[in-house]
Amino acid sequence: MRNLLRSLAARHAAFVAVSGLLLAAFQYLICAAVASVDVSGAIAKLLDSLPPMLQTMVSATLFGGLSEHGLLAFGWNHPIAQAIGAAVAIVLAARAVAGEAETGAIELLLSQPLSRGRYFAAQAGFALAALALLTLAGLGGTLLGQRVFHVTPFAGVALARLGVDYLLLQCAWFGITLLLSAFGREGGRVASAGFLVALASYIVQVIGQLWERAAFLAPYTLQHYLRPQEILVKGAGVAEPAAVLLAVTLVSALAAWLRFRRRDLP
Amino acid sequence: MAALEIEGLRKRFGPVHALRGVSFALEPGEIFGYLGPNGAGKTTTLRIAVGLVRADAGAVRLLGEPARRARARERIGYLPGELRLWEELSARALLDSFARYRPSRPPVLRGRLLEALGFAESDLGRRVKFLSHGTRRKLGLVLAMQHDPDLLLLDEPTAGLDPLVQRAFRELVLERARAGRTVLLSSHVLSEVEAICGRVAILRAGELLALESIEGLRTRMLRRASVRFRGPAPEGLARLPGVERAELSGSEATLWVRGDVNPLLGAVARAGVEQFVFPEPQLEDIFLAYYGSGRAPGAGARS
Repeated sequence: MRNLLRSLAARHAAFVAVSGLLLAAFQYLICAAVASVDVSGAIAKLLDSLPPMLQTMVSATLFGGLSEHGLLAFGWNHPIAQAIGAAVAIVLAARAVAGEAETGAIELLLSQPLSRGRYFAAQAGFALAALALLTLAGLGGTLLGQRVFHVTPFAGVALARLGVDYLLLQCAWFGITLLLSAFGREGGRVASAGFLVALASYIVQVIGQLWERAAFLAPYTLQHYLRPQEILVKGAGVAEPAAVLLAVTLVSALAAWLRFRRRDLP
Repeated sequence: MAALEIEGLRKRFGPVHALRGVSFALEPGEIFGYLGPNGAGKTTTLRIAVGLVRADAGAVRLLGEPARRARARERIGYLPGELRLWEELSARALLDSFARYRPSRPPVLRGRLLEALGFAESDLGRRVKFLSHGTRRKLGLVLAMQHDPDLLLLDEPTAGLDPLVQRAFRELVLERARAGRTVLLSSHVLSEVEAICGRVAILRAGELLALESIEGLRTRMLRRASVRFRGPAPEGLARLPGVERAELSGSEATLWVRGDVNPLLGAVARAGVEQFVFPEPQLEDIFLAYYGSGRAPGAGARS
């Protein structure tokens, strides 16, 4: 299994590294923006142009009440931050089974004395490690930005909770796409399906936030459980969102394994 | 203990019966030809043998172990028909990576194989995506054989190789068989199978049509003899044992014979022969005869 992990690292290192750097740079730039521009004033002006009902909702849900920390937290809720994490999770999951079946490499690999269980565990383990590195890179960007631009730092515990929350969201995307991958034969189609699911979920969540009558839909989206404002601004715990995201990850990964262990390859 | 035992293998892909109860066994040290046209079920058999595809019924044992156990693959080498490799890695990294899956079987033959197959040293450092098709096939052969496996399963091993490399490959296979290794060769190249295999199985639409030695197949094959006598062709040739059909025309006779040819030889010698042409049947003739007539020419499949 260590051998397969090494091969996966050799193949995906550049992709994961570039994604980590992008997320770190994005969080760093958010700190720079918060420190150097009167972003609060600009957003306040923007909010003034919205209807009163939307003003409260948008400022509370997206910008954490317009505080400095609220704006930094928005950097973790921003579509770019979510897209980078989802991209890594979805691409790794799509390649894990369907992608390897499509290229045919899985045929030679699983004809070695390597059980399907070990193959699956190595893929999941590598993805977990890659997503953890990505999260750490993002957190590193925030920490560095806060230090360089003299922004009041977050408490260590709050950042750790945010890291767990962000990581588990990406793990859930990995699990769901892995399930699609276990049924699929083409990595590209599986990745596209994974992105569509993530996009649909994001759109439903935004609609649920902005439109009260659709608020009941929000808990059915995974993004609902990414809560940087609550964690970083209000000091909320991460137990409930973590439990939901972990459950989604485990159930989808288990279903993917049950399919993968019996399917014909390639 | 047989090196490979396949018993009652059945597999369906939706409405298509890929295998319909295939059974055979390979003895240690033999080179076995697995023949059949596209879609006959050869690749499916091999994929079941290495645990990639699940059989609907039947069993496969590799060197005495159930094929689905990963441990059973420790002592085998497999070359897929459609070889795809991780293209981002160099040839050397790929060879090293696959060697690490078998810590107890170091790649003792790598140097010998690279040399015999003419794999350039400079190609070892190149990424797979920059290697030519033929070089990739050579790399696949090295991957399959570098750990000196006890059982080699090769699906179309010489496809895409030039004639010189094909000859080197045949010599390597014969060398491994002399060392007691077992080789199953799935191939369309009948001359290659004829040159190195002792036994063959002929598969059609998932069914085994024949399973025996090439010599045995030749013996049971309907063969044609052309004879020109010094005088008129004698009567009664068609009633000789082994002669299934005779066409006489003046001093010439065309005879179709199966099995023992001695009664025919005796009869024509007594009549006085000017010319006797009795070509040895090639595997290609046998193969085409199976596919032309449906069932075995002379006998059914035997396991």
